[in-house]
Amino acid sequence: MGDTPAVETKALTRVFQPKKKKEGKSVTALDRVDLRIEKGELFGLLGPNGAGKTTLLKILSTLLLPTSGKAYVAGFDLEKDFVEVRRRINMVSGGEISGYGLLTVRENLWMFSQFYGIKSKDAKERIDSLLDKFGLSDKRDEKVRTLSTGQRQKMNVVRGFVTDPDILFLDEPTLGLDVNASRVIRDHIVDWVDNGKDKTVLLTTHYMAEADQLCNRIAIIDEGKILACNTPENLKKMVRMNKTLTLDVTLLADKSVLGAVKGVDKFTYVDDAEKNLTHLKFVLTDESAVSDIVSDVLGNGSKIVSLQKTEPTLEDVFIKMVGKGFE
Amino acid sequence: MSDGWIKRNVRAIRGRAYPRVIGSTREPSWMFFDVALPLLTVAAYAYIYKFMNAQAQYIGYVVIGGAMTAFWLNVLWSMASQLYWEKEIGNLQLYLMAPISRMSILAGMAVGGLFETTLRAVSTLVIGVVLFSVALNLSHPLMLFGIFFLTMVALYGMGMMFASLYLLFGREAYHMSNLMTEPVYLASGFYFPVKQLGFWAATGASLIPITLGLDAIRQLFYPTKTQDAFLPIATEALILLALCVVFLILAKYSLDYMERLGKTSGRLTLRWQ
Amino acid sequence: MAVGGDIRTFKNAAWLGWQMEANWTDPFLFATYSIVKPISGTLILVFMFMVVTGGHTTGPYFSYMYLGNALYMYVAEVLFGVTWVIHDDREHYMTLKQVYIAPINFSTYILGRSAIKIAITSAGVLITLVFGVLVLGVDINLGSVDWPLLVAAMTFGLGCICVMGLALGGVTFLTAKHSMGINEGIAGVFYVLSGVIFPITALPGWAQSISKVLPITYWMEAVRRALAPGIMDQLGHSNGFDITGMVGFNDMFLMVDLIVSAAIAFGLSILIFRYADLIARRKGKIDWTSAY
Repeated sequence: MGDTPAVETKALTRVFQPKKKKEGKSVTALDRVDLRIEKGELFGLLGPNGAGKTTLLKILSTLLLPTSGKAYVAGFDLEKDFVEVRRRINMVSGGEISGYGLLTVRENLWMFSQFYGIKSKDAKERIDSLLDKFGLSDKRDEKVRTLSTGQRQKMNVVRGFVTDPDILFLDEPTLGLDVNASRVIRDHIVDWVDNGKDKTVLLTTHYMAEADQLCNRIAIIDEGKILACNTPENLKKMVRMNKTLTLDVTLLADKSVLGAVKGVDKFTYVDDAEKNLTHLKFVLTDESAVSDIVSDVLGNGSKIVSLQKTEPTLEDVFIKMVGKGFE
Repeated sequence: MSDGWIKRNVRAIRGRAYPRVIGSTREPSWMFFDVALPLLTVAAYAYIYKFMNAQAQYIGYVVIGGAMTAFWLNVLWSMASQLYWEKEIGNLQLYLMAPISRMSILAGMAVGGLFETTLRAVSTLVIGVVLFSVALNLSHPLMLFGIFFLTMVALYGMGMMFASLYLLFGREAYHMSNLMTEPVYLASGFYFPVKQLGFWAATGASLIPITLGLDAIRQLFYPTKTQDAFLPIATEALILLALCVVFLILAKYSLDYMERLGKTSGRLTLRWQ
Repeated sequence: MAVGGDIRTFKNAAWLGWQMEANWTDPFLFATYSIVKPISGTLILVFMFMVVTGGHTTGPYFSYMYLGNALYMYVAEVLFGVTWVIHDDREHYMTLKQVYIAPINFSTYILGRSAIKIAITSAGVLITLVFGVLVLGVDINLGSVDWPLLVAAMTFGLGCICVMGLALGGVTFLTAKHSMGINEGIAGVFYVLSGVIFPITALPGWAQSISKVLPITYWMEAVRRALAPGIMDQLGHSNGFDITGMVGFNDMFLMVDLIVSAAIAFGLSILIFRYADLIARRKGKIDWTSAY
């Protein structure tokens, strides 16, 4: 990772004033946001609706000016050197309806590539390759208006990659996509960052699992403020939640020994005579207790039907930080 | 991989023109309307003059003016206010994020629409001439081309300036375009010699490039009807040249200024204003 | 119950139409827009007239032309307004499908949306007429207005225009972005053939035959007679020649022609709308977009 970060903001603030007083009060969408994203990072931005994610992306993509503070993309000042910034970025939003219904997928993508000065031959090769990767080859010559929502979104994502930007802003790119399509896009994002030279992605998403899986670091934003910014692992550690172990075993007569296992904070059980099962739940202070518990259960002549260990998730982190889940 | 600034913007013009050109070929229904519609207005006004037993050249003026409306409407609706629709469907923000001049996007729209516009203008002229037995006498075709070229450059420059309003405003700018349609027909003398408005009104109207362009074109087709001319052709050509420069410069500054205003106020990509 | 539902749909649609038409700017600018637009369109004709007459705006023909042009605003704006509802909702706001599948009478919704156009256009027509009377000497005397004829003609005429707009709206379902072209075309045909700014006798014989089946022709004549009976008498009997082409039609006969032609147009329009609607549903065009 180089010295110049891909994205840097310093006390970035954006306040929206209503046109007329009767339209309501002013809204502080971003409140002194300090952020630093290094080159080559896949950076996630998590926050509820109205947190300021899209506002931040609009500023970084030169569509909006901040009210105060500074922002730099690829080392260039967003306000003064926006042309240089634009040469190095691209943005894809979820649920985009941009494009022209009358053009084919290929034509639409080619048109946008021309705004970035890409030679037609190169653009077409890139487009075909990306369409193939995203499973849209058979739709290449279909008119955009015939595409389904998911196909259209895939096309939008392809548009983001066609220009091969240094920094790609993805605003909920997998919105509305099915599981397979989402997976293809995520895999491509990771590949692109890992295999490219100093390629950076700033990704906003509502899907915790997506952020957890993809991002090197995540910032949690709410009401325009960054509440936390760290790796997913470190974020989870901030939430002092114990791990739990849930076991379904064949009816266990003697459970007394289980409560005394070292590393177990709490222990509850429910016998289900009808199903000949005992449901056991342990709150663990030490993960190494798992093996002792399993040995004791088996030693008592019982069989393990199912076993599940739960850890604090990003959702737990989010709820703790923000105080609510996604609306 | 990227070329210099000029190549990039030339590519951008080509890219933006493409949907217009392709759209014309894939949805050819426009051909009928772009040929038939202007003729209806031309016919209506021609019949008024006929009913009032006006001199023959007035019907010619109506036909020429009717043909030129194609370019005014193209500037107003297919370029300036087109940004409003681009904003609504989400294309505008993609254009604005790209490292190209905004004038390239608008130029692309203009170039792409030229085929339709030219067909509309030529068909109105030809059919109008045939239907109403208009006698046109053109002795200086090169001068006609020159006047036409200057008029178009100045007109499209003015259109780019108007387009900048759409970076800040939404429906307001759209309704302003609506508002400008008929007053410009009136002020620019599309259907009567602009001289009829009086010297000062005609002078003010000359700020709209098509006013002097139309007047000069009519003089070229009716060289003996000098009583209907506002200014000599050479004077009008010089003024048009000046307007070309002025409007192109104003367009650049106005687009930059409005974009900055839009980004500051947060209305640049705000839909449904 | 159905009537109550239709009334509610109409009211809600009219409210929405008002929001779309009027809340885009401050009242002053809106008022300016509403005044400048109709008057400048009319002034084109005024100057054309003055070019030929050397600056005068006297004579029955000037009033004939002025009145016709003012009234024509209803044709242009209402036809446009009805079609625009479908175009706008489908292409720009993409709300058409949500409205279409709602349990309401879709035709009522469209007519409600365009009702505000009639109101705004009426203001424009009134402003134009007042301007004409006060500034240009158009010969309308409130004491001579035939109010019963005026009310009857306006009722049938406007109703007919609205339903024709509905038919064009149906056609909009099936066409690309040039659906506005169809609208302008039909309005343009009326402009040329319905005696709006020149009598139909100025047209060739075959065109006059078409004029005489168009309801707008009779509507124009009836409203002119109601508003300015003196002018129509003068013009109609100039030099013993039937200049307007309708001298032989008394008021009753004129109204019968208007009602009959309007009824035929009404029936045809409903058929066209229903057929277009059916085809659009078959081809999946209710919610397509075509902008480029």
